[in-house]
Amino acid sequence: MISVKKVDNKPLNLLERIYLYEIARGLSVTMRHFFKNLFNPAGMPTVQYPEQTIPLAGNARFRTRHRLKIRADGSPKCVACFMCQTACPAYCIKIEAAEYPSNNVEKYPAVFNIDLSRCVMCGMCVEACPEDAIAMDTAEIPGGAAARAELMMTRETLLRNLPGEKPTLGASNRLANEYLGGKE
Amino acid sequence: MPVFFEANKDMLIFTGAAAVKILVFLNAIMGFTALLTLAERKVSALIQDRIGPNRASVFGLTLNGLFHPVADGIKMVFKEDFTPGRAEKLLFTLAPFFALVPVLALFALIPFGDYIMISGYRLDLQIADLPLGLFFVLALSGLAIYGVFLGGWASKNNFALLGAMRGAAQMVSYEVVLGLTLVGLMMIYGSAGLQDMVRAQGKLLFGFIPAWGVVCQPFAFILFLTAAIAENKRTPFDLVEGESEIIGYFMEYSSMRFAAFMFAEFLEIILVSMLAATLFFGGWQVPYLHETGFIFPGGALLPVNHYLVAALQTGAFAAKTVAFSWFLLVVRWTLPRFRFDQMMGLCWKTLLPLALLNILMTGAVMLALGKI
Amino acid sequence: MPTIKIDGRTIEVTKGTTLLEAAQKLGIYIPRYCYHPKLSISGNCRMCLVEIENAPKLATACSTEAAEGMSVFTGTDKVKTARRDMLEFLLINHPLDCPICDQAGECGLQDYYMKYSLQKSRFRQEEKVRRQKRRAVGPHLVLDNERCILCTRCVRFCAEVTKTSELEVMQRSDHSYIDLKEGKALDNNYSLNIADICPVGAFTSRDFRFKQRVWFLKKTSTVCLGCATGCRMTAHHNENTIYRLVPLPNSQTNTWLCDHGRMTYKAVQAGDRLSKGVIKNGLIDLEPALREAATRIDEAKSEAAVLGSPWLSVEDNAALARLAISALKTVNFCFEFSSGQGIKDGILVNEDPAPNTAGAGLLKAAHGGVSLEELSGRIASGRIKVLVTEARAAGLVKTALKTSGCRLIVFAQNRSEIPAGAYATLPYASYFETPGTFINYQGLRRRTNPAVRPADGVKPLWNVVNKLAAYSGTSLGLDSAENALKDIKL
Repeated sequence: MISVKKVDNKPLNLLERIYLYEIARGLSVTMRHFFKNLFNPAGMPTVQYPEQTIPLAGNARFRTRHRLKIRADGSPKCVACFMCQTACPAYCIKIEAAEYPSNNVEKYPAVFNIDLSRCVMCGMCVEACPEDAIAMDTAEIPGGAAARAELMMTRETLLRNLPGEKPTLGASNRLANEYLGGKE
Repeated sequence: MPVFFEANKDMLIFTGAAAVKILVFLNAIMGFTALLTLAERKVSALIQDRIGPNRASVFGLTLNGLFHPVADGIKMVFKEDFTPGRAEKLLFTLAPFFALVPVLALFALIPFGDYIMISGYRLDLQIADLPLGLFFVLALSGLAIYGVFLGGWASKNNFALLGAMRGAAQMVSYEVVLGLTLVGLMMIYGSAGLQDMVRAQGKLLFGFIPAWGVVCQPFAFILFLTAAIAENKRTPFDLVEGESEIIGYFMEYSSMRFAAFMFAEFLEIILVSMLAATLFFGGWQVPYLHETGFIFPGGALLPVNHYLVAALQTGAFAAKTVAFSWFLLVVRWTLPRFRFDQMMGLCWKTLLPLALLNILMTGAVMLALGKI
Repeated sequence: MPTIKIDGRTIEVTKGTTLLEAAQKLGIYIPRYCYHPKLSISGNCRMCLVEIENAPKLATACSTEAAEGMSVFTGTDKVKTARRDMLEFLLINHPLDCPICDQAGECGLQDYYMKYSLQKSRFRQEEKVRRQKRRAVGPHLVLDNERCILCTRCVRFCAEVTKTSELEVMQRSDHSYIDLKEGKALDNNYSLNIADICPVGAFTSRDFRFKQRVWFLKKTSTVCLGCATGCRMTAHHNENTIYRLVPLPNSQTNTWLCDHGRMTYKAVQAGDRLSKGVIKNGLIDLEPALREAATRIDEAKSEAAVLGSPWLSVEDNAALARLAISALKTVNFCFEFSSGQGIKDGILVNEDPAPNTAGAGLLKAAHGGVSLEELSGRIASGRIKVLVTEARAAGLVKTALKTSGCRLIVFAQNRSEIPAGAYATLPYASYFETPGTFINYQGLRRRTNPAVRPADGVKPLWNVVNKLAAYSGTSLGLDSAENALKDIKL
């Protein structure tokens, strides 16, 4: 059902048709802003990121810099299933899988790169993850890098637990839970 | 040798003075243009509650973004100079010059002061005082169309061509209005030389109102400003560029060639500001300031040194130019773009009849006052 | 010739045709796990249950032969319920390994669950029966018993196709599992086919393991060049890398693909792949290498010889023939190779290790030339100063080359191929990178399709030959592979 909004366009009156008065009104608005900001630059809402940050209003609704969760034994919770790479609309995730020789989780990411310069922060990777291993809850807004290399997040920079976070078991992977059962 | 110098003394002094004037005035304008590119970004930022560019730094010193024009310039120089494979190479190369040169040439006619006497020699503060300066202004600004049109056409790009077509139509149309608005001024001041017109604006009406163009011809001033902005291809008349739709005639240009077009646009802002100041706001005239000092209405006198007079007058001209430039920037960031039919309608159906009416009225009033 | 009705559509089939095959002819798909067209009927998975009019119970379509007047229904509620319940049985103990399972994406359980079931599990994850997880069973395969649904395709494959019978179902009823017979390893030359026919992730390839998820793979059908059988196969590749080769079943040559053939892709992306020329033992850019080779050829004039190769496509052999006839103007060229033809092991592997002996023979038919014995005799007697050939073909005249002072100019793909004593080596694009025509032992003409791009500067052999001729002062005008084939009757 398409809702139709009827717009009641009133015909312009003479003053509006002459236009000059309307121009003056418009100029008064922009000049008001101009002078207000010229003499009171502190009143502007701009935050000089990344030098200056403001606390985010609770990160529940923000998608911030990615991280990969770590299991109790320090191994990545990620099992390199490639679901995030598949779901990623910006093709910014690159994974190379490898095999644990003895650990019965079997698979882990040897390479896990997120190219933040391509990332659109859509959160699809988090949605797609069957292991709840990737999260965008660090409350750090990426950006403001001086070199492209700084925007390439690797396995090393991605792997971290939040301060005070208790390492959780694998969400759906029974093998991971079993493996960690004796380690906790 | 001394004989040669002796024989051609006047000529040599004239040449030297002209060269100095050109150097000083042109450099001042170039510097101002560079600052204007920054000002455009800063003014728009302030209007939109932003801070604007402030990151370019030299040894950690940012000066609130003052180095950005330099950074832009360096960047422009090092950008790839790209020529589309199917472009008309010669015209594609020439077009930026066509855009830049007429605008630069026009500055020669602007009187930026009255004159100074230096050890007995009179130095006119104007590079070239043509008796028919106003017509020369119109003629040269007509040439600027070539830069736009050749650039768009030589790019062999449909959008660039579309922009060029719009540009040509727009500039040709508004040139007519621009010319006609100035007729009233020429009627009043009885001259087409810009210096003469400025001098004529030094008179007082009713003994206390400076006889500036805006007082004598307020109607023409509004028409002139509108037509000048349109001639300048700036918002609300920027259909030639139309960033959100066709990008414009310089779409295929990059590097310094693009910078030339951009520079030409900013030079035109200054030119329009200077012309508006010269024609309608008394040019270098400071109210009540005469060659020897201030003569206020009522007869009070305040003698001023000759050099100080010249400095005050040049400063007044600069201040007027800056004020107008700022005003043009604010206009750009206030008004939305016209549709093309609206713009052409405004030109031919509104501004042109009004300009003709203005000439008629001026003539009628002058006849009534017995000035003819 | 019984006439039966399936879902109201009538079809006449030959006696002995099963209902599943009859339905397939009508384009009706009946789900199956244990059924495979080239293996014996087992009927254990019960996925293909269909309803037959006047029959008391549902019957398995794969094992029920069509009988006159039968009326079969494949889409009734009863059938649908049976399928859903069968899937539930299979999934009760199937582990949630999909994230780490290589089969995910081409898994029979995933596909049929989405198509026929879509119901939530009624069993808790913790209650699943555990079995042995991954272990290597042979050089190419990994077995995960927990994922197995006991369709016994693998057991039947080993018993019926390779006749080596390494695998067996151990224990009985719900204790049963697949295992190797005592003292055996799954090391036959066809073992990777088991990974293909396994409908779940129980058997997976060790070579392909964790390399790539299958849904990223692009598929290019091409021809196996491992021997003269010329099996059709599909190269699975992504981002210019081939990850695996799987058979493309066809009635003329193959249903399966041998393990040797499946590994032929490795040479294409091996570390010793040549992208530059080699003079003696030193790497050198292609252009100077070509110039050097051309100089040596020019020195020898009509004492140069060209030996075609049964490992090269018809196009590339034709280019070599053009080089001999038009550029070198020599009579010393040979395109005649002989090798025993025929299936060696009774399944696929051919006696002739070269894929294109028959194709090279076409050049012999078109241009003549000397026999291989004659050529090697001339080389041995020192009448030939320079021999231009392909690396593996140079092996055919190895003994003759050893004794003579003949300079050898070879085309090679990998550094390891270069025969000892080769003077100049020129790189060329593999047939995974460029199309080529091959004629197998049956005389079937097959064409490879490029799956990946060659490295920069690596060109098809006909193109390198064209450049070589240009350096020695003759324009062969070879601007396409088709051009090279101009006077060859395929």
